[in-house]
Amino acid sequence: MKNSSVTKFLVRLAAFGVILIVADYLVGLGLKKIYFSQRVGQYSQTTYALDSAKQDILIFGSSRAVRHYSPSIISKVSGLSCYNSGRDGLMIPYAAAVQEVSLKRHVPKMIILDISPRELGIDKSKYERLSILLPYCSRHQELLKYIKEVGPFEPDKLVSKTYPFNSSVFVLACNSLLAKSADKDDNGYVPLENAMTRHETDDYAKRMAARARKVRKKTEIPEDKAIGYFKQFLDDAAKYNIKTLVVISPTILHNPFYLDNQLLERNLIEKITGRYKNATFLDYSNDPRFNYHPEKFADYFHLNVRGSKEFSEIIAQDVKAGI
Amino acid sequence: MLFNSIDFIIFYVVVTTLFFSAPHKIRWAILLAASCYFYMAFVPVYILILGFTIIIDYFSGIYIEKEHSARRRKMLLMASLTANIGILVVFKYFNFLNLNLDVFLHKFNYHNPIPYLRILLPIGLSFHTFQAMSYTIEVYRGNQKAERHFGIYSLYVMFYPQLVAGPIERPQNILHQFHEKHNFNFNLMQSGLKLMLWGFFKKLVIADRLSIFVSSVFGNPDIHNGTTIVIASFFFAIQIYCDFSGYTDIAIGAARTMGFDLMTNFKRPYFATNIQDFWRRWHISLSTWFRDYVYLPLGGSKVGNARRYLNLFIVFLVSGIWHGANYTYVIWGALHGLYCVGYVVLKPYLPSPQNKFAARLVRISGTALTIGLVTFAWIFFRAASVHDAFTLVRNLRSFGEVPFIGDGLNNFAQCILAILLLFLLEYKIEYYPDKFNFFSSRNIVVRWGSLAFTILWIVVFGVFNGGQFIYFQF
Repeated sequence: MKNSSVTKFLVRLAAFGVILIVADYLVGLGLKKIYFSQRVGQYSQTTYALDSAKQDILIFGSSRAVRHYSPSIISKVSGLSCYNSGRDGLMIPYAAAVQEVSLKRHVPKMIILDISPRELGIDKSKYERLSILLPYCSRHQELLKYIKEVGPFEPDKLVSKTYPFNSSVFVLACNSLLAKSADKDDNGYVPLENAMTRHETDDYAKRMAARARKVRKKTEIPEDKAIGYFKQFLDDAAKYNIKTLVVISPTILHNPFYLDNQLLERNLIEKITGRYKNATFLDYSNDPRFNYHPEKFADYFHLNVRGSKEFSEIIAQDVKAGI
Repeated sequence: MLFNSIDFIIFYVVVTTLFFSAPHKIRWAILLAASCYFYMAFVPVYILILGFTIIIDYFSGIYIEKEHSARRRKMLLMASLTANIGILVVFKYFNFLNLNLDVFLHKFNYHNPIPYLRILLPIGLSFHTFQAMSYTIEVYRGNQKAERHFGIYSLYVMFYPQLVAGPIERPQNILHQFHEKHNFNFNLMQSGLKLMLWGFFKKLVIADRLSIFVSSVFGNPDIHNGTTIVIASFFFAIQIYCDFSGYTDIAIGAARTMGFDLMTNFKRPYFATNIQDFWRRWHISLSTWFRDYVYLPLGGSKVGNARRYLNLFIVFLVSGIWHGANYTYVIWGALHGLYCVGYVVLKPYLPSPQNKFAARLVRISGTALTIGLVTFAWIFFRAASVHDAFTLVRNLRSFGEVPFIGDGLNNFAQCILAILLLFLLEYKIEYYPDKFNFFSSRNIVVRWGSLAFTILWIVVFGVFNGGQFIYFQF
């Protein structure tokens, strides 16, 4: 080995390393500043849900929570303040994480958890997506255990100041540039505007029926870890004796969980919820007011503004009855 | 051990340091031990299969060289090839063949008594088996001397950078390099690390980003419309390229830092102007393997037209089967066979352009057509089953409907950004190879700035929980 070229290489590598650390620190600092100064969009909603939400009713769940529950309608009917802490693409582990942090700061009077049976199925993406909690780990150490679900080395990667903002730059740029023109959300509720057509619904129904013939042959296997997070969510609510509604919100097709081979998970949600005195299970998936009503859906999975307002009125009555 | 893991980074630093710190005569042992460790990080017991292949081919090589009788030499070669192909058949194709037998016998109301094997496919089996086979064939042909050093021969089959997904090396290129002394070379180290960085970029920023969308569409073939399927198929075309060529860049880069020169495996395949050109640029080590050891022995182009077309078709069909024990790969190979035969048949009738503008137009339309054909074939390659593939093809009829873009615009926009970036960079390399070479600029600010920018880009836009490399399964 030629020592001079090795030394030259090591010296240059060290110098480059220093430059990289400084660049990482500066970029990270800039992104952090932009991230926590967001006024619109889901990052600002997550920040609010984790750091500030103190409403009487807190709603948790995935994009179906974000799109289906209007806090202003629920507040108007029930007389209680309400915030929607749901987040697109996130599932039960995220709800458990946000709830854990929120409850340390504030105990609401009621919790609504919107859940889909597929959240208890085997799907590693629900853990991978927990990486969106990375920017909050320095403020809320309890989130680190959720971050480990993303990967065992994930907490170690926080040594980089830029890494917590991985995959968020595009949204940050859009939110910052379009902040003035973007509509402000209604306490976390972001309705979808468009409506499906009858043709699209029939086409989807046909495809799902074809899929059902295939997927129903497979064995249903709920995931123990996801069930654990669901139980943890209900345990935490029970610990503070918070009234809890576990809701499956409307779907465009009748019997969707039969079609998608998720009956076992659906029944498991009902069974587990039944064990908690403070919790009530409400399944609107077969509600004829929504099934095969494309005018109330924006896409196969989400109600549109018309459908979600109608559904929020219904849920508001449940909340009123629950209180 | 995956290249895109922290474990690999640690492994690479330790092995490279040990390699240069050790005296030349024991370096092969360090690399062999490291390669064993690398392979055993997947499924440890499968190292025995590799060991079996190595022993068979090591002794076959020596005996083939010693033997003077042509008939015996041929028999020895056949024995070696049978052992190698036998391993492939047992571990990769047995259950597939058994399933076909099952279906066949069921038609005549017979029960298939042969049980299925409950085994995992050894990682990279087709790659190291093909590399081992190329050694005995080359020794048989007299192009390569038999390797007497058992450790060095083992390293030829097991060299960790290219062990599980190639490039499938030839003994003439790599074997002598294991005997040579490699001093630490500043330029090779720099260039190897830069190539590795580019490989990581392709894998983490492009391939794994696209795979999020691709998986959600190909995982649910029934529910997506034609527009979505076209987008997902095109994304997959880019994904598999960046995944595989990204792996190759990391492999070649890692080897280069230690002074080893591995063969080129990709030359910007999506700039190919016809399907033949595509195969001169895509997975070159495999296509040349099939050319040298299947196409030419079948007669190559020195036979009548009909036979030549058949030879071409057979090569692509075998190439499809090489990829996996599933009819999706068979159809993929057959499609490429048909494309190539079609091109060879039509080639003499294609008009040659009369001016620069026409030449450019022909080139662009040729590239677009090639991408279209290759992308269509990828549907079969990516689909989980033939049924899924035909469902996707059937759903193409609804092309024009509003596409599904996944969970919000964020991921989709990053996919588009990644593809644009790849196109710009590959376009530059294809047409302006000597311009804008920021990584090797004489100006240190530009050079280091572009390197730091690339690393930070990976940190900001990369997907760090992506899966293994697609070609590991082969």
